[in-house]
Amino acid sequence: MSQTVAEPKVAVNIKEEQCSRCTICSSLCPYDAITQDHENNKMVLDIEKCQVCGICYSACPAKAIDTIYYSCGSVLKYLEKVRPQYKSDTLVIMCKGSAPDFSEVGKLFGVKEFIPLAVPCVGRIPEEVLLGVMVAGIKKINILACDEDYCRFQRGSPLAGRRVVALNRMLEQLGYGPEAITLKRNSLKVKVNKDLCIACGTCVACCPYHAPKLESVGGISFDLDACRGCGLCVALCPAFALDMDNWERERISNLIPQLLAEVKPPKILVFRCQWAYYPPLNGDMSPNVGAIELPCAGRIEAVHVLEALQSGADGVMVVACSEDDCKQEGVSAKAEHVVANIKEKLEQIGLGDKISFSPVSPRYPGQVEEKVREFRQSLEGAKKGAEKGETK
Amino acid sequence: MIVTTLKPLDEIMESISPYRKILIAGCDGCTQPPRGIREAKTLKQLLELAGKLKGKEFEFKVTSVVKQCDSVLTTSAIKPYVEDVEAVLSLACGAGPQTIAKFFPDLPAIPAQNSHFIGIDDRQEDKMFDSCSACGDCILALTGGICPVTRCSKGLLNGACGGASNGKCELDPERDCAWELIYERLKRLGRLDLLKEFTPAKDYSAKGWRVTP
Repeated sequence: MSQTVAEPKVAVNIKEEQCSRCTICSSLCPYDAITQDHENNKMVLDIEKCQVCGICYSACPAKAIDTIYYSCGSVLKYLEKVRPQYKSDTLVIMCKGSAPDFSEVGKLFGVKEFIPLAVPCVGRIPEEVLLGVMVAGIKKINILACDEDYCRFQRGSPLAGRRVVALNRMLEQLGYGPEAITLKRNSLKVKVNKDLCIACGTCVACCPYHAPKLESVGGISFDLDACRGCGLCVALCPAFALDMDNWERERISNLIPQLLAEVKPPKILVFRCQWAYYPPLNGDMSPNVGAIELPCAGRIEAVHVLEALQSGADGVMVVACSEDDCKQEGVSAKAEHVVANIKEKLEQIGLGDKISFSPVSPRYPGQVEEKVREFRQSLEGAKKGAEKGETK
Repeated sequence: MIVTTLKPLDEIMESISPYRKILIAGCDGCTQPPRGIREAKTLKQLLELAGKLKGKEFEFKVTSVVKQCDSVLTTSAIKPYVEDVEAVLSLACGAGPQTIAKFFPDLPAIPAQNSHFIGIDDRQEDKMFDSCSACGDCILALTGGICPVTRCSKGLLNGACGGASNGKCELDPERDCAWELIYERLKRLGRLDLLKEFTPAKDYSAKGWRVTP
């Protein structure tokens, strides 16, 4: 019997027969993942370089690029389904990176009721979706993008901006007023409580962007233009003097027991980097899993892991990008170090198997589900082992 | 700063086991890595989890002291808790528990850290290096800012022993020969003349056991 090794399913594909070889995708890809083969002019995707931002998908004039995440059809279908749940004709499309807290987003646009749609980078939303939802009766579209130089996918936010300007011009000609679609920008950054600072310099040493400055006179200060919101300094500050917009320590702490109350044993709490896994539009994966998104795995802190275990989690998973895929400079590797440190302490009290660190990428769909399954099995195995030990 | 490492949690559990109400006191001073309020809170959580597994219930309070080696600061920070706790678990270097022991004679002071040395925190290498033995009679002006008392395995004061190979110490091949480092540094500074100065045997009584500032 011949064995065939199945190619792993990938999240983005170029449909050769539909491709017009216009090369727009390769000119827009921030990661040089799409190149043109000079012998036959075909566009070639190097999936290992692809960061699944969806910019190529949104820009392809021939609709020759397929993506399994937030495709045009699935977004429109999802909105149709959830619309009756909301008493609103306003849609807010937001980049996950600048909008973990929907109530804060509402305040930014001055709306209380709205239909939220959080996507990894608004640059992946094509004109077709924006016009499609208007055709479906949405009266107002608000788009929240990251500041241009804060965009984790480099070109996503600027592209979304240009797209909205062009669309508004067209819609105005059709009589929709001058700003049918409103785009705002926002970036979430570190917050400093100088009263709590002990001037230890940990933030200065760990920040990959040289945002913090510590001086003998004047103490700590942050160059917020340099801050990229990875959250590493917030997670490491020995004095709890730092916090992060929308990803406040307290907000995460409050989410932990709430989520754990909703899931079935073995209860697994996943802290995941928002760029490492794209959740499906209609909810999450397993009845055993509660998930908290982080701006980057760098935001993971020991206090939250331990709070989860104290609140009844049977296990805690940290899902991060691999070192090569990290959208922040080397922060994923530092997060791995932080988790290893917590694990080492937990091992000392016999709870080392309750925590795991998994580097994954959305380019291979199903990876997280697989890791969760493995982790759940190891938790169940350990539990059975412990019960056997007790009955002996 | 004083470089410390957290003691094994088993050992900490053992030493706090006679008590139920315990104050975990961080130190914002020079302990490196910093052992402030975060360390105190994390340790509280870990000990609670460990206690739960062993059927032992604790009642922890957490605080952090600006500098546990300062009698005034430590006394004022610990005082509000004295009535409510049976012991203090200190996250400071060895000076911390001793400050508490001296000024709170009825309160057990338990160390949570092992203190290693006065060192440099090299953030690039992510390692701490022993750099000062607090000998009480500093000769760094003569040795290019590199301490032979601390960094030469033999603590030699007047040049290399001759046993080094490829710049590494004959007693520990991982360790740089301090005198070779001193030579290279003085050469770079154009101060090789300093090597001709003779340093007499150290008067270790200058190290002292008490000093008036």
